[in-house]
Amino acid sequence: MKRRNESKAYLYLAPAVILAALFCWYPAIIGFVQSFLTVNASGKVLGFAGLSNYRSLFADKAFQNSLKVSLRFIVLFVPANTFVTLLAASMTRRKSRFSAIPEYVFFAPVAVSLSAYSLIMKDLFRGNASVINKITGLKMGWITEPAGAMATLVILGIFLDFGIDYILLMCAFRSSDKSVLEAARMDGAGGWRLFLQIELPLIRETTLVTIFLALKDAILISAPIIILTEGGPYRSTETVMFYYYLEAFKSGNRGVQNALSALVIVIAAIFMALYNSRRRAR
Amino acid sequence: MRKAIIILLALLAIAPVFAQGAAEKETTTVTVWSSAQGSNQTVFDEIAQTFNDTIGKEKGINFEAVYQGKASDVLTKVNAASGTDSLPDIAMMDATAATDMNSSEYLVTVDKLGIDTSDIIDCAIASYSSEKGLLGLPFNASALLYYYNKTLYDAAGVTAPRTLDDMVQVAKKTGKLNADGSFEVAAFVGVPATFELSTFIGAQNGLSYLVNNRNGHDARPTEVLFGKEGTYAAFLEKWKAVYDTGYMNAISSGTTAEFTSGRAAALLASSSNLASIIKAVAGEFEVGVAAVPMVNEQATGGTVISGGALFSFTDSAAVKTVLEYLISPEVQAKWSEATGYVPVTTTAYETEQYKAFLSENPQYQVALDSLLNSNAGLANVWVPSAYSIYYSFQANIVDVLKEAKTIPAAVDEMVATIEAAFEAYASQN
Repeated sequence: MKRRNESKAYLYLAPAVILAALFCWYPAIIGFVQSFLTVNASGKVLGFAGLSNYRSLFADKAFQNSLKVSLRFIVLFVPANTFVTLLAASMTRRKSRFSAIPEYVFFAPVAVSLSAYSLIMKDLFRGNASVINKITGLKMGWITEPAGAMATLVILGIFLDFGIDYILLMCAFRSSDKSVLEAARMDGAGGWRLFLQIELPLIRETTLVTIFLALKDAILISAPIIILTEGGPYRSTETVMFYYYLEAFKSGNRGVQNALSALVIVIAAIFMALYNSRRRAR
Repeated sequence: MRKAIIILLALLAIAPVFAQGAAEKETTTVTVWSSAQGSNQTVFDEIAQTFNDTIGKEKGINFEAVYQGKASDVLTKVNAASGTDSLPDIAMMDATAATDMNSSEYLVTVDKLGIDTSDIIDCAIASYSSEKGLLGLPFNASALLYYYNKTLYDAAGVTAPRTLDDMVQVAKKTGKLNADGSFEVAAFVGVPATFELSTFIGAQNGLSYLVNNRNGHDARPTEVLFGKEGTYAAFLEKWKAVYDTGYMNAISSGTTAEFTSGRAAALLASSSNLASIIKAVAGEFEVGVAAVPMVNEQATGGTVISGGALFSFTDSAAVKTVLEYLISPEVQAKWSEATGYVPVTTTAYETEQYKAFLSENPQYQVALDSLLNSNAGLANVWVPSAYSIYYSFQANIVDVLKEAKTIPAAVDEMVATIEAAFEAYASQN
């Protein structure tokens, strides 16, 4: 009986594994191998390149710039995103008669497509007479100035991740061990103290998951940039993956494409290993 | 339930047979991937429909126009489809496609199709010719123009600047700042990139190139010329002088909206935007257009032609028929009137329809004159990594304007960037 259940499990896993193998693992391995070869735009291998693809990647000023931009985005986005989603989830963590309303409002962004959001943001922030400037009374060139464009991108990023992070955190709050909370209350803990020292630590696992999701999204962000800023103004929002998009799809530069994808996979693997080791350590 | 699934699967399995049966007529379909935006696509669809109702019906050809996004999107898709059977018969793209098309093994040149191009204007032919021949059939032409708020210029008592030195004077008279230092009206909005520089640099000394081999048309470029010839430095120097008036809004996106809303008095844009800009201004002020200001008195080369061409991937009589139809005087005149592009054939200028149109809309004459009076040797730039270079130019210019980077350092950096792109391309091709 057990064996049968096991084989059934593999059967259910198969579609996901086959898809991942075909569209993730196989291209990743090919890309890694090809990062040490010279390949032309139509995919023909011309010879062995050694480390020269990596050397020309790191020598490229635009790549160096994109590293800085990505880092800036991560530093701004990940904490801001964590704070905002935690805030929303903690404010609505108690189930009540009306809690369905904020739940619906906060979860709704998940149902809107990424490109639709990006286009809406573009229209809201476009130009000096933008809707946002009209509402806030500011005079900022949001998408036209480097700082404004980065801010717009961070706001968009938060919107994109908000729904899913919110539902994860809210569920974590609600499913945390009630007996611990009650014990703390009996001991006289309440208000901020209860929240910061008991409730938050109880959902630490889920918070970590949302932080890593945000980190992953921050490293890989490219599609919203393609729509919102095209990396501009003056390459100030050209993240590593947008740089990759330009080189791989617009310029057909296979050398940079393979070297960079190999590099990103290695970096992502290191992060995942760190995450897993922390989880196991606990 | 299971029965229903089996029946459904069986139907799916035999569906392709019916689909094939339906397509089995004697018509040949010619698929054209188009990059015509918005209302332009409606016009292009009409042009296709007219063909299908007349020549197509007679010869059994179905002209199918498929909108595939901007010219750069069409290129990305063509590159992705190369070597597969999803490549279209014809693709409408611009000069940025030329480098890739020149090395594509699937391209069928215009010479190979045997199309008579004697009516097409010289500069249009030159702009799509390489050592392999005519890569794409020119379909529409445009020129870079200086757009200005004529109402505001008249009130300030100035005319469109002839040179960049004039532009400094004009900027001082047309720009206005708010009390907090922000622009009430910027005298100029925008940051030049490859397209503008191919004119600003190309026109210098009668005729100059950014890179060797006639801007990459005769062979793959191997050397950057604007550094050692001093043409980029000459431009930067004059451009910085305009910026230093304090009235230039150096932003790279949303520039058209700044102009049409009256918050900028001038900008540089392709003549193909004329119709949409006039429409967006909606009579709030009079739109003036003029030739691009000259960098200096020796910059007499005129303006670089740009615009779209039709690249073919199928060598057939049907494709030839469709292409010949698209450069016929009637289609050219109709397309130009609806879009603001300049027709590529001299025969189209002769049609009564187009003559009447020009006399009613004299602004359109400026682009036509600009092109016909320019040095036909002037060529748009064919370089690998064109998009990356485009963004590099903008960042480079802004560094000089806002970050006080010295002009020699900026020129050196740009030369190094482009030569690195040449090197990467050479090692992979």
